[in-house]
Amino acid sequence: MTREDFIAIEHFSFFYGEKQALHDIDMAIPERQVTALIGPSGCGKSTLLRNMNRMNDLIEGVSHRGDIRLNGNSLYDPKIEVISLRKRVGMVFQKYNPFAKTVYENVVFSLRVAGRNKKRELDEVVERSLRAAALWDEVKDRLHDSAFGLSGGQQQRLCIARAIANQPEILLMDEPCAALDPTATLKIEALIRELKSQFTIVIVTHNMEQATRCSDRTAFLYMGRLIEYGNTKQVFENPREEETEAYISGRFS
Amino acid sequence: MSLKPPTEPDPRRFEVSKGTLFLDRAMTQLIRVGGLMVILAVFGIFFFCRKELLPRCPGSEGEAGGLLETPGGAARVLGVDEWGEKPFLYRGGAEVVFIDIESGEREVVPVPSLEEVEVTAASYDPVHHRVAVGLADGRVGSFVVSYGTEFDEEGGRKIIPSVEAEPWFEVGVGEGPVKSLSYGDGGSNRVFVVAREQGVAVLRLGQKRALIGKPKLTLLGTDDLSDDVAADVVAVVASQNGQAVLVSGDDGKVRYFLERGGSLELTQTFEPFEGEPPVRMDYLFGGVSVAMTGDGGGQKIFSLFRPEGSSERLFGETKAFPPVGEGTPVFATSLRNKSFLTGAGGRLSVRHLTSGATRWEGEAEFEPVAVTIDGKTEHFFIAGEQGQVQRFELDDPHPEAGWRAFFGKVWYEGGEGPVFQWQSTGGSDDFEPKLSLIPLIIGSLKGTFYALLFSVPVALLAAVFSASFLPQDMKRVVKPAMEIMASLPSVVLGFLAGIWLAPIIEDKMPSILLVCLSLPVSALLIGTIWCRRPIQVRRWLEGGREWIVMLPVVAVVSWAAWSLGPVLEKLVFVYQDPTSGREIADFRLWWPQATGLSFDQRNCVVVGFMMGFAVIPVIFTIAEDSLSNVPKTLTAAAAALGASRWQVVRTIIIPVASPGIFSALMIGFGRAVGETMIMVMATGNTPVTEWNIFSGMRTLSANIAVELPEAAPGSTHYRTLFLGALVLFVLTFTLNSVAEVLRQRLREKNKLV
Repeated sequence: MTREDFIAIEHFSFFYGEKQALHDIDMAIPERQVTALIGPSGCGKSTLLRNMNRMNDLIEGVSHRGDIRLNGNSLYDPKIEVISLRKRVGMVFQKYNPFAKTVYENVVFSLRVAGRNKKRELDEVVERSLRAAALWDEVKDRLHDSAFGLSGGQQQRLCIARAIANQPEILLMDEPCAALDPTATLKIEALIRELKSQFTIVIVTHNMEQATRCSDRTAFLYMGRLIEYGNTKQVFENPREEETEAYISGRFS
Repeated sequence: MSLKPPTEPDPRRFEVSKGTLFLDRAMTQLIRVGGLMVILAVFGIFFFCRKELLPRCPGSEGEAGGLLETPGGAARVLGVDEWGEKPFLYRGGAEVVFIDIESGEREVVPVPSLEEVEVTAASYDPVHHRVAVGLADGRVGSFVVSYGTEFDEEGGRKIIPSVEAEPWFEVGVGEGPVKSLSYGDGGSNRVFVVAREQGVAVLRLGQKRALIGKPKLTLLGTDDLSDDVAADVVAVVASQNGQAVLVSGDDGKVRYFLERGGSLELTQTFEPFEGEPPVRMDYLFGGVSVAMTGDGGGQKIFSLFRPEGSSERLFGETKAFPPVGEGTPVFATSLRNKSFLTGAGGRLSVRHLTSGATRWEGEAEFEPVAVTIDGKTEHFFIAGEQGQVQRFELDDPHPEAGWRAFFGKVWYEGGEGPVFQWQSTGGSDDFEPKLSLIPLIIGSLKGTFYALLFSVPVALLAAVFSASFLPQDMKRVVKPAMEIMASLPSVVLGFLAGIWLAPIIEDKMPSILLVCLSLPVSALLIGTIWCRRPIQVRRWLEGGREWIVMLPVVAVVSWAAWSLGPVLEKLVFVYQDPTSGREIADFRLWWPQATGLSFDQRNCVVVGFMMGFAVIPVIFTIAEDSLSNVPKTLTAAAAALGASRWQVVRTIIIPVASPGIFSALMIGFGRAVGETMIMVMATGNTPVTEWNIFSGMRTLSANIAVELPEAAPGSTHYRTLFLGALVLFVLTFTLNSVAEVLRQRLREKNKLV
């Protein structure tokens, strides 16, 4: 039984100092599906994504209104530790950013910071995560080499493996293929479809085809407002709003 | 719709303007020149130091001059004037032969008192140019050679030699001709030590001041040493102050007689060479050390010093030199420094007492029977069996220099054992400079160590806090404030440390210790307590404002620790007065009693604290920059994986920033090693070789600052200071090079590609 409002964004507004970046966003993201956030640059889709694990807290002078609930729990519950919250949410960034460590240590980072150091457990997690990220066969012989020795696509898949190692509930992906070539992009997309069975995935993308290829739901944001949100097929083939149509047909970007 | 014909494109649109090209090339060259200049400047400093240091330091040269023949037999005594121009020979007859070294002319000066006597022994005292002679009939006497100078009209110097005879004395002890003798002239105290065929005696002479005319030399008394010696005498020597006598017997023993209450008493008997008597014993310049030359050519120096537990100064072996050669040894001491000329069988070597080094070695064309060194130690002379005389130029301006003297343990005259010591100037003329750089190197390292011990933790923790925890708006205040600290002139810091801080904290040591202990402990404690508070409490000081809670607690604890200092002192640091048994609670007295180390007002605590002001901003700024420059993508990734702020810092930020932190430490180290003014003013400048935190030190840099203005250019002292500069340069250069290699490795390991 999957939950329709696994991530419930309730009248959420967000401010960078004086500047309002998100205006009263209200949407429900279903469990174990891929939801794509699309929209022109600066529309607030990355901001929205980064609010789902409160990464924006790292920036000075931010404030918000409204609430976001993960599986029914408010993100802004004063009793909740941000750190434990972030453990429930994995995140993959636009530019692949492995740590200056070995492949192995990159994958087990989230376990190490949680104080889990048992070698057997870590070995298991590494294999499982790398297999899930479709990287195991490529790197199994070089687990203890520097992560920087991998290709760009491999590094990004390593980052995905790292993000899912601790088995979060949600996987946030901020333009995961922006810095990759088409072959690597296809691999990542296949991976996203694969991972859907285990994680609730939210992906920010500029690439319309990518959204159609791998997402179930699509939300179109424009100027900090949620313009349209629905099934991907419906949004792309039969948009209700004029702006959505204009955007997806490439009239503005 | 008609398209307008395209305007002709500017044909020069692909050209690069001459100005751009010129500027580009000029800047390239300028940067290249600038870089080369930096390298040149570094090596320039190096070569300048070497140049100032090097002129034959260490090192010496001897060069043989022409051979002058003076037929008429072998010399018993060879002496020379101060300038090394007119040596004289005395062969045992009634005349003294002077030789002009430039022209080769000979001048024979008769000594009427020596006519009709048979001279069986002669010795020479180069200080007074006195030749002491012993006769076959057992009498002893002496004559003094003096050199008068006359200047002719052109200003040329002419040396007029003359000879003045002194009275004869009967030796009332023993029998037979005089075998050997020595004359010790201490002004009003004079002694003759005379060994006859049978018996050995000391004649004590005194000067009676007459109303008119010269003071008259009279015999005060004769001491018979025959019973004390109880062996056949091999050699005798009297000390230059006329108060002591050494007699070596064929039993291999040397007996030391010292004047006490008007007569000479046997004070010490020792055996320099196993069973083999020294054939020559010669006092060296200063009258504290005696060079013993054995039959087999072995040479040892015995010096007077006070052995532990003894109230008297006794002779002990301080140096051993390599053998002088086969044959009858010859010996002459310099009157200017601790060098001496020795040799046997044609081999000659100039040696230096203090450093134990052989300064020059050479082979003479003939076997010398007598040698002498001129007053300035610029020439020495050798005389042969056939009356040949040869002058050697000796160019050794820095005999006391040498690797042993600079970096080794040296047994100085009068000392109890070999030591590292720096004492470049002294009160008297016969003071011998002690030029070991080891105390200064240790001082530099000690000062640096304590300065870094204090400043590295503070600076690095502050940098981490500022870069990774402190909110931006506060960082904007804190960072420039720290950087302004770096602009405090070190002379002001040193002045404050020495004049203001040192006296204030001198009697507050227990308080300071307590604060140093309680500050980090209380900080850690409050941190532990704080992070166990529920999230609702912590929330209102989230994001780097926790110090608002921390600060008052730490302040209160520090204040409490400071006030408890005297209480602790009363409880623990109680000094017991050894004479009265009274107990005094005073850390300054307790420390030396408890540890045997000294307590100075200007100590490493003061230095470390003040150096902190100089070093902390340097380390902080560079470390903070490199910590702040860790890519946000990495810290964000780590944070997104659920790492706490400290985990992000520890696992991601510090490893990536480690090359930068390392450079910060190295630059801080460089600043601390080279720091001068604080060291000059706050350390007390005692060149000690200990790591005691409550004593001062003398650093290489402070030493240069203090002593260079007083050192005579070109002197050994001056060149040694340049050697100190070179050592400092090499020290920092080597450390920085090693650090750079390590830094590159760190960077390679943590590079972000």
